[in-house]
Amino acid sequence: MARVTGTLLLTAFLLIALAFAVLGAFQTRESMARTFARQSQIQAAQTELEELLRLQIDEENSLRGYSLTHDSFYVEQYTAAAGEFDSRERQLRQTLSSQGLITAQRLVDQYAGLQARWRAAVAKPVLAHPTQQLAEIDKRNKFFSDQEAGVVRTIRAELAGQNDVLGRSTQAELDRSSYVRAFWLLLFGLLAILFNAFRSRLYRELEEERTTTEILQRAFRSEAIPIPHCEVGGAYVSASSHLAVGGDVYDVYRLSSNLALLLIADVSGKGVDAAVLTAFIKFTIRAIALRRRDPAAILSEFNTSFSQAVENPYLFVSMWLGILDTETFVLRYASAGHDSAFIRRSKNVQQLPVTGPILGVMEEPFETRQTNMQAGDLLVLTTDGLTEARTRSGRQLLDAGAMDLIAKGSEHAQELADGLVTSVRALSRNRLRDDLAILVVRPLRGAAPDA
Amino acid sequence: MRKLAWALLPLILLALAGTGHKTPVPTPPPQCELHQGDRIVLYGSGDDPDVLAWDSRFRLRSYHAAPFDEAEQLLSHAVLEAAGTRAQVVACVAGFVPSHSFETPEDAVGIMILSGPEKGIGKWVIGSDTRLRRR
Repeated sequence: MARVTGTLLLTAFLLIALAFAVLGAFQTRESMARTFARQSQIQAAQTELEELLRLQIDEENSLRGYSLTHDSFYVEQYTAAAGEFDSRERQLRQTLSSQGLITAQRLVDQYAGLQARWRAAVAKPVLAHPTQQLAEIDKRNKFFSDQEAGVVRTIRAELAGQNDVLGRSTQAELDRSSYVRAFWLLLFGLLAILFNAFRSRLYRELEEERTTTEILQRAFRSEAIPIPHCEVGGAYVSASSHLAVGGDVYDVYRLSSNLALLLIADVSGKGVDAAVLTAFIKFTIRAIALRRRDPAAILSEFNTSFSQAVENPYLFVSMWLGILDTETFVLRYASAGHDSAFIRRSKNVQQLPVTGPILGVMEEPFETRQTNMQAGDLLVLTTDGLTEARTRSGRQLLDAGAMDLIAKGSEHAQELADGLVTSVRALSRNRLRDDLAILVVRPLRGAAPDA
Repeated sequence: MRKLAWALLPLILLALAGTGHKTPVPTPPPQCELHQGDRIVLYGSGDDPDVLAWDSRFRLRSYHAAPFDEAEQLLSHAVLEAAGTRAQVVACVAGFVPSHSFETPEDAVGIMILSGPEKGIGKWVIGSDTRLRRR
């Protein structure tokens, strides 16, 4: 749990650091875009101001031209320049207003006011009396020209100042964003290193656990030990591939020279806890079977022991237990809620009935059944990993599907077990939902069944 | 030898203390670009090269320092001299006129006009409205 929390926390921190770094980059980009747009507007205002000044000079020159030549062409020039001046002045005012440049806007007002007064005090009298040489008007013209030049200089300085401020703020923003991004990247890197170290430690721990579990499981799990006159095959696949342990167990144990204990069980649970329980099952059943030879009695005694030993009320076991006489091939068995037991005779597969309740649930009597096997018959014991195997589309194999696979399988015990595992893997595209244990016993010809 | 060293110690300390002390250098008073007797031509530094010439240096200063309306009122005390009018410097007061164009104040230059309708009349102009012809 602590591992999962640690991994989740580190992953969350990593994602947060990455998100902040990315967000920061976008914010900087947005801020820079805004700054550049503002700078561009200020530059446009500067251009408009110079254009305004040109138009002001055009007005003055047109007026001079008219005063000297009395040609109405200059009046037209003057009128056109005056009209364009007013239009440009409005445009400039709009640009400044959009950027909130109040000071510059006030100065442009002053400039426009001066030009209006110039038109009234200088241009109007000259247009009215072009032949008159009025020294006073010339003087006033000079006066207005100087005043306007002064205001234009101030506007220029104001706009240039704003541009400088923006330039400085852009630089500051770039510096700030570089530091912030560097910080987040550093944090991200450190977290990544930490995450990697944590993950390595986690994998190491898991590997150690896996190795331990495998060692334990090797001790716990049955092997297909040879029994006389029989071919024995077994297979075990864990759904938890990284643990390679599960809650399924099978066992083949020689009770005497001619009796063999056959066992398969499925514990509700997975992992190391289940593996420990399977060991308990295997060795307890062996111990009981050495004293008792009746499968139902063995199950009954085990049920009592199990209820006393295991305190967890949610743990239960389905188990099939049989005692095979390896000389007569008489099989006596009892099934505690375990229905995945089959006998294949030539190509006919028969499911063996359940003869009692699941272990750990209730104290009910178990029943022993008997069947005579022939040489070449196959006793196939599996866990529900076979019958409940699902296709990718979710369809379950069920008993009929399992029996079909058994019917089509090899006639040799180990080959049949391996074939069933291969089929289940193929069916579920190698994504097993449950553990799968298979034990196959095949009486051989050459024995002398006397049943 | 040791006694000599002890005797010299105060002198050494005094010498060392003296190196850290600096006498403030007085700022030189502003000086005129033009001098009495210089021959000049009048040429405005703004968009309009004609030059306003004033009857006194105080009005010249007031005109440049005053707001628009007050400055306009003062115009009656000025004449407009055409660009290129020749003149001779008769007086110069350094840094007398506050300038809108430059950070440092301008010189007030007293001139005798040598050409044009105001020939022979004394006027005052700002330094940046003059061009030196001959010294």
